[in-house]
Amino acid sequence: MEDLKIGVYVCNCGTNIAHVIDAESVKNYAATLPGVKIARSYRYMCSNPGQEMIVEDIRSQGLNRVVVAACSPRMHERTFRNACRTAGLNPYLCEMANIREQCSWVHNDSVAATEKAMALTRAAVLRVACQEPLEGLTAEMCPTTLVLGGGIAGLTAALELADGGFPVVIVERADRLGGNLTRVDLTAPHFDSARDLVRERIAHVRGNPNVTVMLRSELRSLSGFVGNFTAEIATNGGKPTKVRVGNVVVATGYKEFDASRVTHFGYGKLPNVITSFDFERMLRAGRIETKDGRLPQYAAIIHCVGSRSEEFHAYCSRVCCMTALKYANEIKSAIPTCYVSDLYIDMHAFGKGCEDFYKRSSEAKTLFLMYGKGDHPVIRRAASTDDCDMLIEVEEKLSGEHIEIPADLVILMVGMEARADAADVAHVVNISQDKSGWFIESHPKLDPVATTTDGVYIAGTCAAPKDIPDTVAQARAAAARILAKIAKGKIEIDGVFAEVNEEQCSGCRMCNELCPYSAIEFDADKKRSHVIPAACKACGACVAACPSAAIKGRHFTDAQIFAQIEGVLL
Amino acid sequence: MAAKKLQIALYWGAACGGCDVAVLDTNEFILTVGEAADIRLWPIAADGKYQDIEAMADGELDLSLFNGAVRNSENEHIAKLLRRKSKLLVAFGSCAHLGGIPGLANLTSKEDIFATAYLGNASIEPGNRTVPHPKTQVNGHSLEIPAFYRRVYRLSDVVDVDYFVPGCPPEPSQIKNVLLAVVKGELPPKKSVVGASERTLCDDCARRKTEKKVKRFYRPWEIIQDPERCLLEQGIVCMGPATRSGCGVRCPNSNQGCRGCYGPAPGVVDHGAKFLSAISSIIDSKDPKEIDAILGTLPDFIGIAYRFGLPASILQRRHGA
Repeated sequence: MEDLKIGVYVCNCGTNIAHVIDAESVKNYAATLPGVKIARSYRYMCSNPGQEMIVEDIRSQGLNRVVVAACSPRMHERTFRNACRTAGLNPYLCEMANIREQCSWVHNDSVAATEKAMALTRAAVLRVACQEPLEGLTAEMCPTTLVLGGGIAGLTAALELADGGFPVVIVERADRLGGNLTRVDLTAPHFDSARDLVRERIAHVRGNPNVTVMLRSELRSLSGFVGNFTAEIATNGGKPTKVRVGNVVVATGYKEFDASRVTHFGYGKLPNVITSFDFERMLRAGRIETKDGRLPQYAAIIHCVGSRSEEFHAYCSRVCCMTALKYANEIKSAIPTCYVSDLYIDMHAFGKGCEDFYKRSSEAKTLFLMYGKGDHPVIRRAASTDDCDMLIEVEEKLSGEHIEIPADLVILMVGMEARADAADVAHVVNISQDKSGWFIESHPKLDPVATTTDGVYIAGTCAAPKDIPDTVAQARAAAARILAKIAKGKIEIDGVFAEVNEEQCSGCRMCNELCPYSAIEFDADKKRSHVIPAACKACGACVAACPSAAIKGRHFTDAQIFAQIEGVLL
Repeated sequence: MAAKKLQIALYWGAACGGCDVAVLDTNEFILTVGEAADIRLWPIAADGKYQDIEAMADGELDLSLFNGAVRNSENEHIAKLLRRKSKLLVAFGSCAHLGGIPGLANLTSKEDIFATAYLGNASIEPGNRTVPHPKTQVNGHSLEIPAFYRRVYRLSDVVDVDYFVPGCPPEPSQIKNVLLAVVKGELPPKKSVVGASERTLCDDCARRKTEKKVKRFYRPWEIIQDPERCLLEQGIVCMGPATRSGCGVRCPNSNQGCRGCYGPAPGVVDHGAKFLSAISSIIDSKDPKEIDAILGTLPDFIGIAYRFGLPASILQRRHGA
């Protein structure tokens, strides 16, 4: 091996680092460490002059390793790796010591913090000496996309991809396309017909030769990795057929909360207590009426059924408030003499045009009654002497009074919840669910449609309750992400992944089930396991578990980690 | 002309004698060795005095097989003596290789060991508080016995070792192979483990292996095992996945989990830690309480995972001992 020529760069980060840590001392100390050819400090290493300093030193001083003592590698590792690459040095020969987040930001004692910064820098220097140049890999990208779910999200994603000229397979469990939206009459806040929205999508999908629709079908298994998945799809419970796909959009939607779980509203017992979906059916049939066919004189709408509750779902289902206002408007226009009460906890009207809609609705003589979170209205049958079917008792929060209101028809605004089969879907496509069962995105703000499994995207209400515009935006976002990948044609695979040394593997299969990304395959003939680099996220679970040390984590070898530990402890 | 006979010594440090018996277990092969070699020292089976060894020229012995751990000053003294006098010094068997069963004493302290053996033992004469001391004055005479160390060492902790033959005890056929390799001069690079495989036991184990998920661990008597199926998958603790093969899968073939005596696979830093990560990776639960309950079915983990290698571990002795 050629002699080590390590360059160490200590960043001041303006005053972020330098106000606590004596960067000059860290730099001078680094210069004394084994293999260090040059040590410098600079105000902002991530700035252009900072990066150019590294590039210039690599070129003129022949540096073959670089350590940057600065911020978290999550912040600027890529920056400094790229600087190394620019200068012709393999980017994996660059190491960062985090002397900001893990040092200057969390300590006040300058002397101790400076000592710690030295230890962190020493650890990085010792580690970088053991680092090896690595190369990434590339793999083919199959242009076909599998879309799970034929609701508004799935249909939209499929159309976006198909219009881009690429094949799409829609797998839908039900015997028709459209999903939950086909059960809805008009949409809030503009009273567009949901049926028209979804019909238009279905017609386009049906007319697009790039889309294959598989109804009464389900995904049984998904193997392989991004760009190169094999999906096994069974129709009518029959023998699965294999389809090669490059990416997957999970758009499996939601199911409505089961109102009979809430006992105090008498759903299932009181005939005129119905859910929002029951009411949609009524609206689509064109007649608002009680069970025995009368026009209701009093209608009541109760919000947050199953949502925002300690007992059921803590989250807000996001669409019910506006839907409730839509109902108030629809009842008023169908039966102008009907008194409509709206019992809510808080009115959530955050969507575009929604606040206006709320304002207009509240002027339309709907009686708004606020009840407390943790409290709930109680419905009971009215006496025969009353002119109504039921009476609702509520502790009205704004007036502070106990109020009793009449009702002939009560509509429960049932929230959204994860589908019962969500866990199965998550297992098959290898993504995670949160505590409520919603699929988890890669990053809630910056990467909301990707998942931790490369090539698997989520869109719409399978990820969390949302309205149609947000669902459609996500579906198009997922499609855009996939189109960008297809356009690239190849997948670039990071150089850091686990690999099995087949000379050392004894085929114990300890690692097989362990991999959270299904990146390990067992070759039954050779009796050896191997890692699929494109699916590997370099988490290291198998590396730690491999009892015969046959699995090596590239860039995280024992030698590198021990060197780093030694550096901290010296 | 007959080739010059090999000059060999066999010695035991802190050992049970099993390694010596294993050498005898090569049966008539040992007679062949006797013909090809002069056995200059073998306390268990042949005559030979320390003075004889001390009188030798440095490097006069071609081969010394040292079994047993280094527990006291005598073990260390002879180890250093044999090192000086031998062209090849082999750590023979688990104790010399990794510290072995005596190495489990590093879980306690010299004081506790003495208290158990010499003070608290039911067979001690009441009131007798005698514990061994390196030097004792008796009737004006000075008696010396070896000094008992504060911890147990493997052979390579005190001298430079050329080869390692693992096993508790080493498998007789492997002993033969090693001796033949010495005679023929066909040894691998120094510091190698010889008389063993480069893979783990699973590679040689014929039991059927599928994906491992364990809901509870069993001691062998607690379960009627499937003789065809991987023991670990049945919840029977088996060190096989983490242990170097070469023993001929003796324990699993006898329906017992591998005890780990051949030590870790090549490249493993810490045998027990490796086994710990492996075991924790196959526990079939995500619920902390259930995981605790499953782990509760695993008795004496250190005694399992470090049965043969505590002195070779990055864990050393008990803190403060």
